[in-house]
Amino acid sequence: MPFGIKVDETGNVQRPSSARAAEQKPETGNRPRAARRRVAITGMGWVTPLGWDLEGVWKKLLAGESGIAATTLFDARSFPTTFSAEVKNHTLPENLAASPKHQHIGRATGFALHAAQEAWRHAGLPQPGTPQYAKLDPYAIGAYLGSGEGSLDFDTFSRTALAAWDEQAGAVNPRVWGKQALQSFHTWREIEQEPCMPAAHLSLEFNARGPVLNCLTACAASTQALGEAMQIIRHGDAEIMISGGAHSMIHPFGVTGFNRLTALSTFNDNPRRACRPFDATRDGFVLGEGAGVLILENLDHARRRGATVWAEIVGYGSSADAYRVTDQHPEGRGAVAAIEAALRDAGLTAAQIDYINAHGTGTKENDSTETLAIKRIFGARAKATPISSIKSMLGHLIAAAGAVEAITCVLALRDQILPPTANYSVRDVECDLDYVPNQARRAKVDVVMSNSFGFGGQNDTLILRKFSL
Amino acid sequence: MRRVVITGVGAISPHGLSAAELWKGLREGRSSTTVLTRFESSAFPSRVAGEVAPFKITDYVPKSYRKATKIMSRDIELAVVAADGAVRDAKLATRGIVESSGGKKPDESWLTVDPRRVGCNIGAGLISADLNELSAAMAAAKEPDGTLSLRRWGRSDHPTELAGMDRLTPLWLLKYLPNMLACHVSIIHDTQGPSNTITCQQASAGLALAEACRTIQRGEADLALVGGCESLIHPMGLMRWTLLNRLNIGANDQPAKACRPLDQAAAGTVIAEGGAVLVMEELAQARARGARIYCEIAGRGESSSASGVSRPDVTGEALAVAMSKALREAAIGPEAVDLVVPPGYGIPEFDQAEVRAIHRVFGSQPRPAIVPMRGGIGDCGAGAQAIDLVAAAIAVAEQIIPPAVNCPQPLDGLDAPREARAGTALRHALVAASSISGQNSVIILRQIG
Repeated sequence: MPFGIKVDETGNVQRPSSARAAEQKPETGNRPRAARRRVAITGMGWVTPLGWDLEGVWKKLLAGESGIAATTLFDARSFPTTFSAEVKNHTLPENLAASPKHQHIGRATGFALHAAQEAWRHAGLPQPGTPQYAKLDPYAIGAYLGSGEGSLDFDTFSRTALAAWDEQAGAVNPRVWGKQALQSFHTWREIEQEPCMPAAHLSLEFNARGPVLNCLTACAASTQALGEAMQIIRHGDAEIMISGGAHSMIHPFGVTGFNRLTALSTFNDNPRRACRPFDATRDGFVLGEGAGVLILENLDHARRRGATVWAEIVGYGSSADAYRVTDQHPEGRGAVAAIEAALRDAGLTAAQIDYINAHGTGTKENDSTETLAIKRIFGARAKATPISSIKSMLGHLIAAAGAVEAITCVLALRDQILPPTANYSVRDVECDLDYVPNQARRAKVDVVMSNSFGFGGQNDTLILRKFSL
Repeated sequence: MRRVVITGVGAISPHGLSAAELWKGLREGRSSTTVLTRFESSAFPSRVAGEVAPFKITDYVPKSYRKATKIMSRDIELAVVAADGAVRDAKLATRGIVESSGGKKPDESWLTVDPRRVGCNIGAGLISADLNELSAAMAAAKEPDGTLSLRRWGRSDHPTELAGMDRLTPLWLLKYLPNMLACHVSIIHDTQGPSNTITCQQASAGLALAEACRTIQRGEADLALVGGCESLIHPMGLMRWTLLNRLNIGANDQPAKACRPLDQAAAGTVIAEGGAVLVMEELAQARARGARIYCEIAGRGESSSASGVSRPDVTGEALAVAMSKALREAAIGPEAVDLVVPPGYGIPEFDQAEVRAIHRVFGSQPRPAIVPMRGGIGDCGAGAQAIDLVAAAIAVAEQIIPPAVNCPQPLDGLDAPREARAGTALRHALVAASSISGQNSVIILRQIG
């Protein structure tokens, strides 16, 4: 376990040299800190457009590889955007595929289950069904995901709608629609579209009987889920929270929705270069899909069982722009509020942040506003704080984006290296900070911040710290 | 620890467009489920619904925001109406209220709020797209064999004709994102504090309330608008609930008696629409400004049944654990609870599982009155527990227990009142919800002197 920090059952910490070199900075928080439970990250798993092997995907991100290519999940050749970041050739692990608990799952739930199983194993937790597993208190294990709705059954939906369409009336004939719908829609495929289904399946798989929730705050959802899951552990309502998110919107109506909003890149001639966060020529985001799941754990619980602590989650802030349905606040008011709240929660100042994992979607508006918000908080230090967006390589996993980015932050802390912003070539006058262009960079990284901003003005920020006692 | 109280309630339900009408309907033991009228439903075996009476959404938003009502789906409209009621009830002079009152507070007793200290946490469901709007666009890309041409959906063959997708309004997607309930409410009332959208079906509102409660306790906000709203009255909603066998298909000629929660003759639920929003406030602030305090949030508990989707937890164990957690947080025993509002769907196997949970916590002859609120309303998904919470908050404030509607023969020893009860102390009300995928949320409300 390279660079991880091992804590044995007596509480002795075996720390590698890189950790000793980074002694904890004195806290200069702006409010007194009451003793509260600390929350450790002890396991991680993901299913991404670059694969689902934790270390393999990380290596690809550091090498600047792209998971973006022509869309194959449906025929998108006539759409304004013909490419996306698909999870290619995904198959569920055999035990999950064969489980009667998960027979009818949708695509996003499959991603969530797979990522969660990897995270659970990575955390060194006993597998469900084993005698060691039976020693865990199921009511102390919860789940909090920020997962999106499942994909509409497009074929059945369109066939039924067209069969029932009455051209003269300019409306669907409800009698025809109803009759055909009851015969053609599949019960389980319908109910599996509920956004809480990935969380419900995790609860089933791991017999997690503590708090189980799902939030759906658009592109900020899984960042928010991680923040709220941390709060649940701090509050003492659970010892372990399986947290993150899963989403797939790569289906005809998903792409239609974003194309109509003109939010997607239409760089059809060169999909690999389509997502260009902070670059002056950026023309929109690239729709991706996948899941990221982290195991959050009460630090004392993790130490008692001798778990490896990969990082500590120390700050979370949430805010609403309360400005417009379609646009971010032009001065980044909500983004600033979320970042400030996260710093306050962590008892840290902006000067202590070593790296920012940006929301960085590659839309004109987001990247300028995010840059402005960072400048407003970091002041003179803004230019000296490295910022990067892995959406340049993975696309935008929408509800799942924040969880995958949080995992990237943990790996950056572990390996003391920052992933690049790929496809960066033309400097934008409004985006004039250090975006770690095109090349991964070695750096001393103790504290990192991850931002997520959603449609509708939802802003969430997390702060993670390299673990030391 | 900062204490959190409820200082405003707003509701929209089959009983009416306000919390007052909801309470009147509940107190009088009325049923507002009727024959479904929103769309022609003759192809479906259950044709009963709890519909909200017609309203004009532009009456509930400030003038400057009227244009935005064009991109509000039904679920969003419900939340906007409920939030308007809650904010007015709590006398919060939010941006929307001030603008609607000609740029000033309605009167001096209203609280000027700091927008950064107000959170918004409104549960939502899976919002179905308008069938006619989407089908009209698809019909423009229909192949001769009746299937949809994805090619012509994306790009038109004729320069003068629109492609299928281009017939949808550019902001089409934004009508259907679940977080748009909280988004519109936060813009109208300028709530810039912590915001979230919990999507856990019927348990959404309690989970949202619990989360916002922690936010206020930690000091990150002083006020929060919380709740949930959903409309299942949509052909897709009716189709889904029909396929899941959740509906009573034998009561089309007796629609008012279709939903009979915890009654021995329960035979399924009814699709409905509605929801509620509550104003939560830090106690000291509420007292200082002389707000009307309905009750205190005394405790909350959460659990997951892990029993599978749309399968009841036959042991009742997980729901009982959530109830016990809430009692522990409230630092009371079960004997201090005078009213239990159970999930109460009216689906026999789910009702029986709830009764087992109640027996586990309150014994085989439970002392508190058991009042399911769904009998005259039906199932409005993410709005369900929000309505229950508003009902319980008013019950505690008024010290009146409303009757259990459509429950003349309650299951196993339950005390389900046939008439409203007053004159006995209502110290604590316990509101429990279970979603169809197994999430449980329990909230205990305490009378405050």
